[in-house]
Amino acid sequence: MSSTPLDSPATARRALSGPALIGLVAAALVAVALPVFTSGYVVYIANLLLVFVVLCLGLHIVIGETGQFSMAHAAFYGIGIYASALANRAVDLPYPVAMLFGALVAGAVGLFIGALALRMRDIYLALATFAFGEAMQWVFANWDSVTNGPNGLRISPARFGPIDILSDKQAYPFVLFFCLVMIGLTVAISRSRLGRSFRAVRESEVAAMAMGIDVRRARIVSFGLSAAIAGFAGGMFGLFQTFIHPDSLGFQTTILVLTMVVVGGLGSIAGAIGGAIVFGLISEVLRQAPQYQEIIYGAILILFMMYAPRGLFAFIGDRIREARHGR
Amino acid sequence: MAAESSPFLNVEGLTIRFGGLTAVGGLDMAVAKGSIHALIGPNGAGKSTTFNCISRFYTPSAGRITYDGRDITRMPAREMAGLGIARSFQNLELFGELSVFENVLIGAHVHAGRSWRDAISARPRGIVEHVEQLLERTGLTSYAQTKARNLDFGHQKMVEIARALAIRPKLLLLDEPAAGLRNREIAALDRLLCELRERDGLTILLVEHVMQLVMSISDKITVLSFGTKIAEGTAAEVRANPAVIEAYLGREAVQEAAHG
Repeated sequence: MSSTPLDSPATARRALSGPALIGLVAAALVAVALPVFTSGYVVYIANLLLVFVVLCLGLHIVIGETGQFSMAHAAFYGIGIYASALANRAVDLPYPVAMLFGALVAGAVGLFIGALALRMRDIYLALATFAFGEAMQWVFANWDSVTNGPNGLRISPARFGPIDILSDKQAYPFVLFFCLVMIGLTVAISRSRLGRSFRAVRESEVAAMAMGIDVRRARIVSFGLSAAIAGFAGGMFGLFQTFIHPDSLGFQTTILVLTMVVVGGLGSIAGAIGGAIVFGLISEVLRQAPQYQEIIYGAILILFMMYAPRGLFAFIGDRIREARHGR
Repeated sequence: MAAESSPFLNVEGLTIRFGGLTAVGGLDMAVAKGSIHALIGPNGAGKSTTFNCISRFYTPSAGRITYDGRDITRMPAREMAGLGIARSFQNLELFGELSVFENVLIGAHVHAGRSWRDAISARPRGIVEHVEQLLERTGLTSYAQTKARNLDFGHQKMVEIARALAIRPKLLLLDEPAAGLRNREIAALDRLLCELRERDGLTILLVEHVMQLVMSISDKITVLSFGTKIAEGTAAEVRANPAVIEAYLGREAVQEAAHG
């Protein structure tokens, strides 16, 4: 019995094997030391990528774990940005508390929308959440007293007690820390009873029901959690950004995050993280050629759907395995 | 037998209509505690419909289902696991992308939330050990980390049963567990089900076409044809019943049997 591979989930063991561990440590060192040897711009990009990682974690919960489509991720992100910025400025809450507030507001809206929208499924669910996302963008653009409408909102510096965060380099350690916390949280959710019930719902709703799982509740909770994590990402955004405009909280952002999760690999946390980083970099490069941006996104998404439907990392893993077995 | 007076699972006047079609009409059936009870009949007799009513996936048009003294006729399906009623699925409803281990672990869902520590644990105490035992008993230990969808059909059927057993049921409902299995696998299933009855005191209701299994393990057999009960009794009684032979083989077969 002792030799059976039951001691830990297979994924955890694989992630901690020799070369992977070295890679992980190297990545951690680079991540921690980044502000020391690079320019402000690189740190800004790093901050942005870390926010995308958290956005992808949120979307992973609802799409990857529970298998429910959501096309409203940018809306929850936006709610988090505005709610935490306002809580920090108007009520003068310490920024970490303001971030939690942003996550809570986004999560509460997510639960409410989830309870309504999750009566539908597949394309109908996608359309319902899409409509909500569009409606929220309209709210962001027109609720002048809260969002300053189409002029965009200046976000005042995040305040941690006596410290005001004024630069990307100053913000970076906090952004990195919160990102790691959210990765840990997502892994913990995924491994828990709740995460198992999400995957059961994804794989077979009737079987989940027969195992005593409340399928409707699982779907709504996963939607709410996903929204809360997106809202938290919004709070992280406010740590280093000084300005938010409703234009950046629309369907394009939803599609961008969706693409990241699909490109990285649906259903795996590592895939969501990797997709956010790889595709986030690609989209930053494409910013030099904005007229081609959408076309190239579309092409990448189609190519992945055709040739690597399980995502970039599963694709690379398969190629490595094939190479090892001499094919 | 005292159990006979108050059956563990009692079905009274069960009627299920789909539009104008009566799939099952006024079925009475009593399943004794600790017995293996088989529900058989030709294709379209209403066995699976009855099965899905008892497991609460369909709601009957009329009639009453009681389990352990409790009326479950209108309870939601998801509450069955908590009451100790487990089921398998005829066409397999595995969590295909998940490992065999995780499939069975999810079977223990209702037991994995007793404390916060259990609920957030990837390997809740007590439950993991039970899951490992079940894998051992169903011959799946070496496939624990295999994705369920990558198993062959026989092993997938075993995962269904192991997952149902993780509920720690008092009543196990099996929908054609032997369909599609090879002889060797049917023999193993036969052994497992008998052991579950003898050692674990489980009550088992199975819908089954494989007569080799039904005749060998059933304490009692209920025969359905066109939605009504045409016979009930032990294997020997049912086998000798002319109505059963007619339902399965046609009228001539009965006459031949009578003459020959």
